[in-house]
Parts: sequence; structure tokens; C-alpha cells
Amino acid sequence: MRLAWGPEEEAFRAELVDFLDRHAPKRALGLDFATSEEEGIPEWSRQWQATLFDHGWLVPGYPPELGGRNATPVQTLIFQEEMAARGLPRSLHFPGWAIVAPSLLEFGTEAQKALAPASLRGDMVWCIGMSEPDAGSDLASLKTRAVLDGDHFVVNGQKVWTSYAMWSQKCFCYTRTNPDVPKHKGITVLIIDMDTPGIDIRPLRQITGTTHFAEVFFSDVVVPRENVVGEIDAGWRITMGSLAHERGGLWLQTVSGVDHALTDLVGLAKRTGADGNQAVRRRLADAYAQVSALRALGYKGFSSFAQGSSAPEHSYLKLATSELQKSLFELGMELEGPAGIVVDPAHHEGAGRLAFSFFTSFASTIAGGTSEIQRNIIAERVLGLPRGK
Amino acid sequence: MVQRHEHDDPREGLSLNVDFTLSDDQQLLRDTARALLDKECPPSLVRAYQDDVSAADRLWEHLLEWTELGRGPLVDLCLFLEEAGAVLAPGPFFATSVLWDGLGLDGIGTVAFIDDVTMPYTIDADLVDQIAVVVPDGAVVIDRSRLTLNPVQTLDWTRHLVEVSGSGDFDPPRPFDEEALRERAYVAIAAELLGTARSLLERTIAYATERHQFDRPIGSFQAIQHKIADMALVYEEAWSAVYYAAMCIDAGDDDRHRAAHVAKIMAGAAATRAAKDGIQVHGGIGYTWEHDLHLYIRRAYQSEHLFGTSDWHRDRLAELIL
Repeated sequence: MRLAWGPEEEAFRAELVDFLDRHAPKRALGLDFATSEEEGIPEWSRQWQATLFDHGWLVPGYPPELGGRNATPVQTLIFQEEMAARGLPRSLHFPGWAIVAPSLLEFGTEAQKALAPASLRGDMVWCIGMSEPDAGSDLASLKTRAVLDGDHFVVNGQKVWTSYAMWSQKCFCYTRTNPDVPKHKGITVLIIDMDTPGIDIRPLRQITGTTHFAEVFFSDVVVPRENVVGEIDAGWRITMGSLAHERGGLWLQTVSGVDHALTDLVGLAKRTGADGNQAVRRRLADAYAQVSALRALGYKGFSSFAQGSSAPEHSYLKLATSELQKSLFELGMELEGPAGIVVDPAHHEGAGRLAFSFFTSFASTIAGGTSEIQRNIIAERVLGLPRGK
Repeated sequence: MVQRHEHDDPREGLSLNVDFTLSDDQQLLRDTARALLDKECPPSLVRAYQDDVSAADRLWEHLLEWTELGRGPLVDLCLFLEEAGAVLAPGPFFATSVLWDGLGLDGIGTVAFIDDVTMPYTIDADLVDQIAVVVPDGAVVIDRSRLTLNPVQTLDWTRHLVEVSGSGDFDPPRPFDEEALRERAYVAIAAELLGTARSLLERTIAYATERHQFDRPIGSFQAIQHKIADMALVYEEAWSAVYYAAMCIDAGDDDRHRAAHVAKIMAGAAATRAAKDGIQVHGGIGYTWEHDLHLYIRRAYQSEHLFGTSDWHRDRLAELIL
């Protein structure tokens, strides 16, 4: 197969660009890494997500009733290109539209599927209960216990790093329903209303100073049996990131983010005069080489994806872009010199911005599978090395 | 592989629209090249070539037919060069198909850059009939017999590096696009380096799978797995960068100047990373002359130094982006 940007695709792009020019909120432009310092879910973000949904631009590959327009893979890629080029997120709050809704549509009962439109539009806010104090990279060892008692479950345990828990109506919660079988085989996903008695939410402040996630404690929380998603004990197959038709271009947002960060660094180097330093010039050139190579690698991955082949490129891209992002912001801090440690916005224009981005970037090599887990995946699943113990 | 330009994007560099899928012809070219070179260029030939250049005579009879690729798209030539680099094929294939054909000349030849920091030697000058000497107004084509050749012993004997000198009455220089020839050479040597990196990576994976210590294959240890995963990552980045650059050159795209430097930087990084981490994973056995690993390591480092070291390319690239 060949990608061909024919007149139809260009018409698609033109319509999208026109929509973005008219509707995209100015303050959302450039938010590549969800680096918003705003807490909660700001009104502009809610409105933007709803506007995207209402115009069929939220998940273009979905049908109109789910906020899409039945876009083809190439059209979806064009959408991702245009959004990424502007540094434009679809929402500041990703769990509902990006993870929960696709999972409900794939695994849910009819009643659960009916929750998808509101989840996509952002009217229903979700958090995802996955990580626990003793279950991080080894997620399947989670212990939050759900015991079936007649027509309901009783849930006890603790989740942590639960993004947006304090603003959510519902939790998509991974629980232990069978402790006597291999750990992957005793996990069940439950939909838990966050206002159920017995739930205690304690917001966690991050190293950036902002508060996006929380610890969530469950004490004898009663959950109706019909809130099981999929089968009991079969929750492990309800995997993360189920927007299957978007996988071919998910890298665009992060690679474009790194690209934007590099452009900013080049500007910074020129302003500070560091562009006269050969060591700095070589580091910037090297970063440019890496960003260019990653962008090419992403399109290579899309070429496989569009043909229905598996695309191991995406494991490489996650690892490389997150590591590069961190090192770029670190270089930026270095280029700023003593000004780089000032975080008082009143001190000078843009003070603290790079430091905030740098601190935020620490999450990128941890969240969504640490770099070490990515390397394990590449070694064993992509390269076929023998499994470790 | 094709690149398209239907979409004129004002945001520079943010839209590639590249399809990396090999066409059926390109797939066939690659498969044929791989089968031919695996059969005709075993490591024993590479070893024998050190003392006896005629060891590669039969190989050259085959490769001669393929030098025609130098007249076609750079992507196709790169696909072949990648396979040649994977088996460390010796002989004047690179000199002829990349440099000589790059000037549009007939026969078997090479190009001599004079007083050039990136290329103080002439590649395989002793193996060709004619040499095009680059002078300010173009290139002067001279029979090899009229020049003085001083072969320089270098790390990798599979590519002869020769100091060329001479004086006399020669034909007037033929004008040519020197920048285009250089960029073609950066990308071509990068494609070769991809093949060498791939062989190092494949051999390292195979060894890590079969070698047992502490009653386990060493490839099951995370320290080894992560090293190899990083080798593979740089290789994948380099592969995409090299073919993107080749497509840009074929299409005459403005991005070709930057992309050519990126290709050489990334391929150099992939090959040298694969070389030094590859020998580390092999442990003591890789340190012996008897093991073939050093043949690839020699090629990796030598080619990284040809047509500009990685830092030389970083300096040029910095001029283009800063």
C-alpha cells in the first residue's frame, strides 16, 4: 500500500484547518506535554473537548454519534499532524475519552456502552484506578480487593497516582477478585461511582508544585455487580490505550512536542549568545538529528500500521522521545544559566517556565511504562531475547 | 519508497508525508542483494582479502553488474549498499557506484578530493582504471597509471585508502555539482553503515541467546537486554533517517542538505554503538582475532571517519539550523 495524499485527503485537511482556525482556544496552543499549570479541569478545556465532539473532530475515526466522522487511518494521521503541529491537546483530561470510552465500547455491556458519548464529550469525568503503592511497573500484582457478595462487590484497598481523582464522577478500577490464581488471571475491572460511601481521596502534590493526581482509599465500598466491565477475573485483557485506530500516529504529539522544545532551545541559544559555543552547537545539532530521525521513524511505523502490520517502532518512539524530552529541557536549564533557577514570574518574562517543563518531563520516562520496562519489551518482544526471570 | 509534496506546509519540518513501504521491486532488489552477498562474501573472503586482493575477484564480477544502480534512484542504491555493508564487501563498488557514477562517468573509477579535511584519502584508487581529481572548477579525469598512488594502511582493510598525487598536462576539468556529490556520499556511506550495524546487532542478539552463564542465557539478564535494546533503538532511528535523506535527495527536496548530515550522524552513532556494545556483550571471545566481530568493528569505525566525522557533520548541521 502507498499513502497518497489525494484531493480527498487535502479537502479533509482544509476542513480541519478551517475548523481549528475558528474554534481552537488560543490558550491551548503549545500545550504539548500536558504541561498546564492550571489545576482541575478548566472551563476552556471542557468547552474545547465538547466543541470537538459536537463537530465530529474529537476522535475522527469514530462515527458522528461518538464525536467522530468515520475518518480513514490516513485522515486520522492528518488530524494528528495538524493537532500536534499546533501543540493542541484535545482536552487537558485524557482518561475519559482516550482510555475509558474505547474500553467500554470494546468490552462493556450495552448499559456501559451508553456511557461512552458523555465520557468522550467530557461531560462525564473519569479517573483510572491502576497503580498501587506495591503495584507500579508490576501492575498485575495489584491488591485492591473486591469480594463478590450476592448482587454486589465489597472493595477494600488503595490506589495511587490516580490522575484527576478529585474531579471525577467515576473510577475505572482494576481490582483483585481472585487471589488464588496466577496474578494476571484474578483481576476484574469495576466501574465505581466516586461518591460511594467509603472512598477517601487525598490529593497528591507533584514535584512541579501542582496537584493533578491523588491517593484513593477504598473501605468497604459497595459496588453493584453489573458494574463489572467484561468478565470477572478477565480484567487484564482490558488494556490501556484502546484507541486502536489512532495508534499509528500517537507518536506525532510527543515527537512534535520535542520538536517544539528544540525550536525554543535554538531561540534561547541565540538570545543568550550560547549559539557561539561549539559544544552547545553540537548538542543542539545532535538533538536536531535525533528529532528528525524519530519523526522519520514514526512515519515508517505508520507505513507498517497502515498496512495492518504490527509496528514495533512505537516502543522505540516512546522510549526515545521521553528520554530526549528530558535531556532537552535539562540542556535548556543549562543554557538559561543562573536565570534558569528563578521561578518567580515577576522576576523576568518567562521565569520558571523551563524549570516547570523540566520537572514535568521527569514523568515522561515513568508514566505509561518506564523506560526500563520499554527496554524489556523491546528486548523480549521485538528482538526475541530470552525472557528474564 | 516515495515522498510527496502535495501539501505545502508553512510550518517547516513539521510535515513529512513519507511512505517508507518498499515497493515490490525494491523488496526484490533487497532480497536478491542479500542472497547474493551472503553467498559470495563470507567472512572467510573478507579475511583473505587482507593479504590477497584477488580473493574478491569473483565477488567483483557479480558486483560489477550492480554498479548500474549508481545511475538510478539513491534509495535503490542505498538498499544495495546496506547489504554490502552487512557483509563488509570489499572492492571498488562504493567508489564506482557512489562517486564515479555520481559524476555521470562510464567505466570503473573513483574520485579524489584534494586537501580535504573530510576525505584526505582516495577510496580504492588502486583498484580502478580512472580517477576523477576534484579541482576548483570541476573534476579532472586521469588514468590511474599517470598518478602516483601511496596506499595508507588503515583500520579496515576492506576499503583501501590511498594518497594520490601527480602533475602533468591533463584534460580540462569537467564541471559538476560538488555539493550534490558530497551529500550523495554522506547518505551512501551511512546506508553501508546501517548494514554493518545490523550485522553487529544480529550477531550480538544471537550470541546473547546462546551463551549461558549462571545457568541462564546472558540475554535474559536485564543489563544485557537494555544494552541491546538501546543498540536496536539507535539502529532504527538511523535506518529511518538514512532512507528519509535518500528520498529527499531523489526528490530534490530542500530538506536534503540537513537530512544528509543527519543520516551520517545517526548511522555513525548506530554502527559505533553496535560495535562497542556488541563486543561488550560478547565478552572475551569478541576480543580475539579468530572471532569475526572485529572485522565489523573495523568497518564501523573507519566508515564513521570517512566523509566527515560525526562532529564535523554536527558542526555543519548547526550552521544550517542555528
